[in-house]
Amino acid sequence: MRIENVSKHFAGHTALDDVSLSIPQGSIYGLLGPNGAGKTTLIRIINRITAPDSGRVLFDGHEIAPEDVYHIGYLPEERGLYKKMKVGEQAIFFARLKGLSRREATVRLKEWFVRFGIQDWWNKKVEELSKGMAQKVQFIVTILHEPKLLIFDEPFSGFDPINANQLKDEILALRDKGATVIFSTHNMSSVEEICDHITLINKSHNILSGPVSEIRRRHGNNIFRIAYRGEEESLHKALEGRCDLLGVEDEESMRYNTMKIHIERDEDVRAVIAAVNEAVELRSFDEIIPSMNDIFIRAVAGKL
Amino acid sequence: MSNIGIIIGREFNERVRKKSFIITTLLMPLLMVAMMIAPSLIMLHSKGDAKRIAVIDHSGIVAPQLESGEEILYEPTDLSVEEARTLLTEYFGVLEIGGDIMTNPNNLRLYANGSTSLTLEESIEGEISDIIEREKLKGYDIHNLDEILRQVKTSVTLTTYRNDEQSEQDGPQEQAKSSALSTAIGFILGMALYFILILYGAMVMQSVIEEKNSRVLEVMVSSVKPFDLMMGKILGIASVAAVQILIWGVLIVGTSAIAMPALIPADVMQSVEAMQAGTLDVTQEGVNLQMLNAVSTATDVHYMTMIFVWLLLYTIGGYLLYSAIFAAIGSSADSVQDAQQLQTPVMLPIIISIFVMMTIFNDPNSPVAVWCSYIPFTSPIVMMARIPSGIPTWEIVLSLALLYATFVAMVWLSAKIYRVGIFMYGKKPTFKELWKWVRYKY
Repeated sequence: MRIENVSKHFAGHTALDDVSLSIPQGSIYGLLGPNGAGKTTLIRIINRITAPDSGRVLFDGHEIAPEDVYHIGYLPEERGLYKKMKVGEQAIFFARLKGLSRREATVRLKEWFVRFGIQDWWNKKVEELSKGMAQKVQFIVTILHEPKLLIFDEPFSGFDPINANQLKDEILALRDKGATVIFSTHNMSSVEEICDHITLINKSHNILSGPVSEIRRRHGNNIFRIAYRGEEESLHKALEGRCDLLGVEDEESMRYNTMKIHIERDEDVRAVIAAVNEAVELRSFDEIIPSMNDIFIRAVAGKL
Repeated sequence: MSNIGIIIGREFNERVRKKSFIITTLLMPLLMVAMMIAPSLIMLHSKGDAKRIAVIDHSGIVAPQLESGEEILYEPTDLSVEEARTLLTEYFGVLEIGGDIMTNPNNLRLYANGSTSLTLEESIEGEISDIIEREKLKGYDIHNLDEILRQVKTSVTLTTYRNDEQSEQDGPQEQAKSSALSTAIGFILGMALYFILILYGAMVMQSVIEEKNSRVLEVMVSSVKPFDLMMGKILGIASVAAVQILIWGVLIVGTSAIAMPALIPADVMQSVEAMQAGTLDVTQEGVNLQMLNAVSTATDVHYMTMIFVWLLLYTIGGYLLYSAIFAAIGSSADSVQDAQQLQTPVMLPIIISIFVMMTIFNDPNSPVAVWCSYIPFTSPIVMMARIPSGIPTWEIVLSLALLYATFVAMVWLSAKIYRVGIFMYGKKPTFKELWKWVRYKY
C-alpha cells in the first residue's frame, strides 16, 4: 500500500498537503496526529469514500479501484450499526455488501460468535446491546470478509481492559495471517505496544514516518540513568567534564541511588561507563528512550 | 448493482416485518371504509327529533298549506306573537307570517328559542316561496292548474360524447363518460397520490436522517457508493410502498366487491348492461340516467385500465422525483426538526397541486391546469385529476417525459448533495449551502 503525493482541499482549508507514505505489507501501521490533522480524510481517501485532488493511492501494486473495497475492512471511529436490526442479520447484511455470499457469511459469523462467546446475541437487536458489546459486533463485521487491508480508527475506545486485550490479540493474529493494518489512534501506549511503523500527520503534512523502534531511538536525547551504590561525591568527580549532570532521583522506594546524565553525542559512552564503574558500584546504566507520547508532543510542537 | 439489490432487500425486509407496518397496512382500509360510512351514519343519527315550530299566519293563506316533514313540524296557533314567544318555550321557535306576505315576501320572521341552522332557514324559505308561487299562479285562474304543473315538471340529464380521435375509432356508439364519475375518480386519485408522495417521501427522509445519526452511513460508504446507497433506499421504500398499496387495493376492492351488489339495485344493474349493449330505451320512465352513466363508466374495463396505467406511471415518476429530493434533504439535516425548514419549499408544489386540482373540476383545460400538468413538480397530482375527464394522449406523454427527465436530473443533483451531506454534522443546512455541495468535486 502506497500513498503518493496526495493532496485534498476543502472549501476554506487544506486537509492533506502532498502526503506520501508507504505501508509495508503485513505490518501494523500507526496513523497518528492531533485532532483535525487530516487523518480521517486520509482514511476516507484510502477507503475510496472521497477522492484526492491530486496524488495516487496504490493498493497491492495497482492504482486503487472500486473492486478493492472488497479487500478493505474499515472500523470508523464513530461506530454505527442499525439499532433496530438483529445482530446476526445485520452482520450478514454488511458481509454481503463486502461481497460474501449469504451462506459463507453465516458460516464465518457463527465461528466468530463462538470465538467471542457471544452466540446468544445472534437474535438480539443492536439497541439491546451495551456499547462495548456493539463494538465487538462491529469489529467482527469489519474483519469478517478477511480483508487484506484493515483500517481501525480508535479500535480500543469503549472497551474494558480484558476485551481490549482480546481485541489486541485478534489484531496481532490478523497481522500474523498476512493482513496489513492501519491503526489510527491518540493512545500512544497502544502504539508502542502493537505498531510496527508509524506516520505522524500534523496540519495536513506528514511530519514523521518510520518504524517505531527506530523513531524512538532516533529521537532519544542521549540521556542515561545510572543506578549505583556508593558516594554521590565520587560519582560527581568521576563524571566531571565528561557530561552534564541532570539531577538525582532520590525517591525512597528506590533501592539504589540514581543519577540522570546527558552525554554529548560525540562523547564516548564506554569511557563514561568505565569512569562510573571506577567510582561507584554500578548496578545499571540505561539509555532513556523517549515514549511515543513525548515524541508525539514534541513533534506536534515542532521541537524535534 | 448487486449492492443496490442487497440494500433494497434490507430496506424491504426491515420495514415489512415491523409491527407498525402490519398494523397500518391492515387498519388503513378499515379506516377508509369507516370514513366513507361515517358521514352517512352521522347523518342518520344527527336527525334527532323533529323541530316544532308554532306558526302565526296573519295572511291565512300560507299556514294551511305548510306541510310538516320529518325535520320540521308546523303547528298553527292562535296566540299573539308576544304570548307565543313567552309561553311556547318548549317549541323550537315561533314563525310569524305577515298579512301582506303575497306582496311583501320579506314580511316573514322566525323567533327561535335556540340557535337555528342555515339548512333549517333555507327549508322554511323554500317551502313558503313554493306556496306563494303556487298561490300567485292560481291568481291567473288557469283551468286544471294542478295537472298542468305536474306535467310541466322536468329534470334533464346531459349525456356527453367526446369528439376526439378515440371516439371516431370506436365509432359513434362510443359510450358517454360520466363527468360526475371522472370528477370523483380524479379527486380520489389525486388525493391518493398526494398521500403517497408525502407519506413515503417523508419515510425516505426520516430513514436517511436516522442512518446518518446512528453513523451507519460511515460504515456503509466504505463498501457501497453513496449513489447506490441512495437509490437502494429510494427503491427499497418504493417496494414497501408497492406491497402496501397492493394490499390496500386488494382489501378495498375485496370489501367493495362484497358490498357492491348490495349497494346497486338489480334493476339498475340490468339497465347498465342494456345501456352498454346499446339497447336501453332512455325515454323510459324511472331511469336515472346520471346514475346509469356513472355505473357504466365505472364498469368500462378499457377506460379504467387506461386510467390506472397512467396513474401508475405518474405515481412512480412523482414518487421517484420527490423521494430523491427528500433523500437530499435528509442527508443534509441532523434531525427531523432541522429538515423541516428545507422541507417547506418542497411541500409547496404538492400543496399547490391540490389547489389546482380543485379548480380542474370546474375546467379541466384551464391555462393553470394545463401549465401545472407540464411542470414536473405539480404534474403527477394535477394530471391525476385531469386524465379521467379525457385529455389527448400526446399531452400525457409529453408531461410524463418531462417528469421522468426531471427525475433523472434530480437524482443526479440529490446524489451530489447526499455525498457531502452524509458527512456533515452540526451544521444547519441552507439552500445556499446545498448549492455549494452540488458543486463540490469528488
